[in-house]
Amino acid sequence: MMASTIFRSIQNHPLLLYPTALFRRKNGVFYCTMKSTEAQTATQEKQKPQIKNPPRTQTKTSDKFSKDYEAVIGIETHVQLNTLTKAFCGCPYNYGSPPNTSVCPICMGLPGALPVLNSKVIELAVKVGLALNSKLSLNSKFDRKQYFYPDLPKGYQISQFDIPIASGGYIDLDLPVEFGGGHRRFGITRVHMEEDAGKLLHSENESYSQEITASPLPKYCTTFYCIELYSSLLSRIYIVVFTFNQVDLNRAGVPLLEIVSEPDMRTGIEAAEYAAELQRLVRYLGVSNGNMQEGSLRCDVNVSIRPIGQAQFGTKVEIKNLNSFSSVSRAIDFEISRQVLLHSQGQGDQITQETRLWEEGAQKTVTMRKKEGLADYRYFPEPDLPGVILTKEYVNSIRDSLPELPEVKRRRYEKMGLSMQDILFLANDVNVAEFFDATIAKGADVKLAANWIMGDIAAYMKNEKLTINEIKLIPQELAELIASIKGGTISGKIGKEILFELLAKGGTVKGLIKEKDLVQIVDPVEIEKIVDKVLSENPKQLEQYRGGKTKLQGYFAGQVMKLSKGKANPGLLNKILLEKLNAQS
Amino acid sequence: MGSKALLMLKGVSSMAPKNQIFNFNCKSSRSSNSSFSFSKVVFNHDKNNKGRRCSATTTQSSLEPPDVSHLAETARISLTPNEVEEFAPKIQQVIDWFGQLQDVDLHSIEPSIRADTEDSNLRDDIPETFENRESMIAAVPSYEEPYIKVPKVLNKE
Repeated sequence: MMASTIFRSIQNHPLLLYPTALFRRKNGVFYCTMKSTEAQTATQEKQKPQIKNPPRTQTKTSDKFSKDYEAVIGIETHVQLNTLTKAFCGCPYNYGSPPNTSVCPICMGLPGALPVLNSKVIELAVKVGLALNSKLSLNSKFDRKQYFYPDLPKGYQISQFDIPIASGGYIDLDLPVEFGGGHRRFGITRVHMEEDAGKLLHSENESYSQEITASPLPKYCTTFYCIELYSSLLSRIYIVVFTFNQVDLNRAGVPLLEIVSEPDMRTGIEAAEYAAELQRLVRYLGVSNGNMQEGSLRCDVNVSIRPIGQAQFGTKVEIKNLNSFSSVSRAIDFEISRQVLLHSQGQGDQITQETRLWEEGAQKTVTMRKKEGLADYRYFPEPDLPGVILTKEYVNSIRDSLPELPEVKRRRYEKMGLSMQDILFLANDVNVAEFFDATIAKGADVKLAANWIMGDIAAYMKNEKLTINEIKLIPQELAELIASIKGGTISGKIGKEILFELLAKGGTVKGLIKEKDLVQIVDPVEIEKIVDKVLSENPKQLEQYRGGKTKLQGYFAGQVMKLSKGKANPGLLNKILLEKLNAQS
Repeated sequence: MGSKALLMLKGVSSMAPKNQIFNFNCKSSRSSNSSFSFSKVVFNHDKNNKGRRCSATTTQSSLEPPDVSHLAETARISLTPNEVEEFAPKIQQVIDWFGQLQDVDLHSIEPSIRADTEDSNLRDDIPETFENRESMIAAVPSYEEPYIKVPKVLNKE
């Protein structure tokens, strides 16, 4: 669909077409889109797949030097708050709504519209600030950050500049066992409130980029529609365009928290775990769904390297387009290798302050834009909004309402005697943790509850693609099941059968045991009867056993279990069976 | 023209000498001295090495003349040389006026970050659908259901 738009625009302006070779950016008159360059690179790579190995050689070469350098990593995270309405207007926000349906004069930036702050935004910001052990500003304000981009209808973003709602603080986390484990504390610089921009949609099929190019100014100059809409004085902007982009303003004005870390991380894993812990935190707090794919949690990382022992930071590079924790980790490790390699080749000065994009397909970072020459946002206090005043009572009431946070939960589980692997699994998902807590609150054995949840229940959830809140099993019944096995009412094997019944259909352990007559047979007389029956039905095997083939004990045990429909108590069964087998020999 | 000047005004702060920033609040500008105060906070936000470092502690009446061409560029408008010449003195007037304000002795005044902080004016988180969406969408100059069409983005060099 976008392709046809492009095609039409080419037809309409045949004079715009020049061979790419003639197109040099240094002219200064031309503007080139980032996306089109990307498409070009991707195409070139497809054509020459045989030169796709340089990253590996790079890692090899730099390995020798990497031990002499350390990386310094800081992360800026944008968390989309799960309010019902936008930050400054009553438009509802639902991810996936039809484009441009949730808009009003305020979030479209129409003249004369005035923003009014959603009180929920403050509440959620305070929650996060407290959870990050930050110092809250009882008196803060909003500022305007001015920049021009088609997804920003007002021409400025309402943000917080010099006085963020929260500053300082830290976050604690435990590294996964498979990465060596260990506890880490990373500093938080600040947390501030701001609004999101709209969505600018780039076309998927931009194959035109190799043929098409821009025309010189000002002949084919096109006006900047989006902004022209709101301010006629911008109609003389000198911009050269290839074709059109599409804008969806549903997301414009949606509240965000920007969380800035201290440059405390040293490896890709540490950075990814920091991001994962932030996700855990916002989910525990219920302030955001923290979904990276939907863009509800977005990470931009800053990476620099320096010789070990040097206090001064190296030149930092920002990486964007990180859509998962593993891409955070891999992008950083790639970038560290790239920078180490440049240093090792004596080309450290080639590391420039720039923004690079992580290309998931190629598993590498590429230049997006060099240091924006004069990015002057011309911040000034937002005149349309009053200051943000918090009272101590308000902050205290929110502090009192905070749930148990991931770090506290992990330390509590540790004291219960669970292994770190179990702790990280259970505390990773707040719903799983709540299920576990509810199960042990009903008196279930801690280790057994952990094993059931991490084993059969987790496997079932994975197979059926269900969350723990969607399964029919409730914590009380898991506790009952564990107690029934432990108390000998049912065997472990029957317990498993009951579990899958409970997971899929619900019901109670007691009800199922009764309904299916699953109570374990612990009466020796009854077991003896079954054993006798099995022995008399298998005279040949009995003869063989008594002739020395004692391995057949297992066969008999299986037959007895089968006849009892799995209900015979295994201990009693074996004891009685052995007695009978060896009795008349 | 009125709105154009307003936009320029936003740009004024960017041309102020490096150590100053103006906190202008719409309400307070012409009222009594006591309700108006300059921020004495030293701004140190330097996220990407590009944030400006500013402070308003100095009182300095002679301010640099405006670089109108640069201002126009930051506001993304193009001006003819005639217009540059025409606007320069007008903007200078505004700057001079701030220069006067800079002379006010504020050493005994408690800094405030906003002038109007008595009314917090918050909104409950209750969705409200704007009823006249159709006419807003109809006013978009280039719209192709369901998207607003904009020229392809542009990386300025």
